[in-house]
Amino acid sequence: MNEVIHTVNLTKHYGKVKAAEQISLSVNKGEIYGFIGLNGAGKTTTIRMLLGMIRPTSGAAYLKGEKISGGNHHVWAKVGYLVEIPYAYPELTVRQNLSMISKLRGISDKQAVLRIISQLHLDSYADVKAGHLSLGNAQRLGLAKALLHQPSILILDEPANGLDPAGIVEIRTLLQDLAANSGVTIFISSHILGEMAKLASRLGIIHNGYLLQEVDASQLEVLLCKRLLLKTTDRERAVSILKEAGYRAGIDGEGVMEIHDAEAIKHPEAIARLLVHADCPPTQLKVEEEDLESYFLRVIKETGGNYDEKVK
Amino acid sequence: MMKRLNDALYCEALKVMHSKIVWITILAFLIVPFVGGFFMLILKDPEAARSYGLIGAKAQLTMGTADWISYFEFLAQAVSIGGLFIFGFVSSWVFGREHSDRTVKDLLALPISRAHIVGAKFITIFLWCILLSAIVLTIGLWVGEMAALPGWSRELVSQGCEMFAICSILTIALSSPVAFFACIGRGYLAPLGFVVFTLVLANIIAVTGYGEFFPWAVPALYSQIGGEGNALPGSISYILVVLTSFAGLIGTFCWWRYADHS
Repeated sequence: MNEVIHTVNLTKHYGKVKAAEQISLSVNKGEIYGFIGLNGAGKTTTIRMLLGMIRPTSGAAYLKGEKISGGNHHVWAKVGYLVEIPYAYPELTVRQNLSMISKLRGISDKQAVLRIISQLHLDSYADVKAGHLSLGNAQRLGLAKALLHQPSILILDEPANGLDPAGIVEIRTLLQDLAANSGVTIFISSHILGEMAKLASRLGIIHNGYLLQEVDASQLEVLLCKRLLLKTTDRERAVSILKEAGYRAGIDGEGVMEIHDAEAIKHPEAIARLLVHADCPPTQLKVEEEDLESYFLRVIKETGGNYDEKVK
Repeated sequence: MMKRLNDALYCEALKVMHSKIVWITILAFLIVPFVGGFFMLILKDPEAARSYGLIGAKAQLTMGTADWISYFEFLAQAVSIGGLFIFGFVSSWVFGREHSDRTVKDLLALPISRAHIVGAKFITIFLWCILLSAIVLTIGLWVGEMAALPGWSRELVSQGCEMFAICSILTIALSSPVAFFACIGRGYLAPLGFVVFTLVLANIIAVTGYGEFFPWAVPALYSQIGGEGNALPGSISYILVVLTSFAGLIGTFCWWRYADHS
């Protein structure tokens, strides 16, 4: 069976507040599913339902075909997780915190704790009390707890919180390696969209509790808006020349000339040639691609309004 | 099954042994035998008692005479009333700390039943409270010996220890609802508030004469706090204590199993 994480109309209401509304998604083996949304969009609620910490108002979630519930604890044997800011027992050392999780997970391999300490570069903090760790190292400890038992499913809520840029790259590489070489299925939420664009093989956009869109990372290239930005000595004349040539040229809100035609974006040299021949040479030509952040905000703006109305 | 409970117990023991709270509760509870011994010394010497003024008068009121019977009654009363607070505090800490330290989420999606984790916590509370009681009783016997209290006999010590043990067990049994309040209150504040509330209410209800129907007043009634002339609580009182304890246990197990942990 390829489908590892599966939700069917997963819904959670707190009174009149719709924290998650009919979320249906599936994540296949070895896939990295990026779950993105604004604060309060429903990411953590969905993750907590996936981990059996919150009972859905309706709908259901499944891990490897097994329905998730508070009583079905066997399902967690192969699941590693990290929810929001990781906390540990402050009076216990990093090693003791990990030993405790190892015991609760029933791990018989005595080397597991040492191995994960080494893997997450916590060696020099192994005997430091968790209460004395920096936010970045506390995050590493949280990830160590999630990875300790070599899970086949990872559910991570904002795992890059508190990590420095080198740490973010290191964790990204580690997760990509786990997915690609060990077939680990990763469900990851974050609001660091640039990071998600680099990491995820599929993205789900959640807003106001609704799953607005699911996009394959390979499709993202097509969906992201591109435009050709131009600067010339005579902007008005350049626009008129381009319009005469059949291009949809205009001036954006910041006063920069832009062309959205796919042909122009594909062959900016043709635009340059046209303007040079018309004695209005460009001083700058640049193809700009929308980043995930802009795309995310555009999707929310385009579809969020409808959903807002539904919520009301 | 037992192995998983042992695993959970190991984790609870690790947390307790590395915490300062265990020493704080021991020190707080150790006041009991020393205060008792101090009062006994005052009572043994009326001249000194008079010179102590109010303290001497108070000691006279609660303990009567300086002998082993009065001393054991004092210890039993102290564990019945002070225990409600100290054992309640232990219960608040064991359950409430998971919320205050935000570690509870690390215990919810593990390949071990939540019932094992809750069970291990209750066993830890029980053992911790038994240890506190044993320390108070042991130190209490030593303090009584040092104070050279009259009336020592094997039979009396046996009866005194039995009364102390029953008061301890009854009081420990009443700490399970505190655990439940620590869970629903998600921290220390609600359970400690509950402890203070039950302590105050127990005193008021005991004064009105209905103490035997209020579980939190029963241990103190058993310790003969109203004087030796008072009848011991009837079986309804013990049944109410057991029912209250079970309600706390079941409530806590159900909360861990069914509540939303958001």
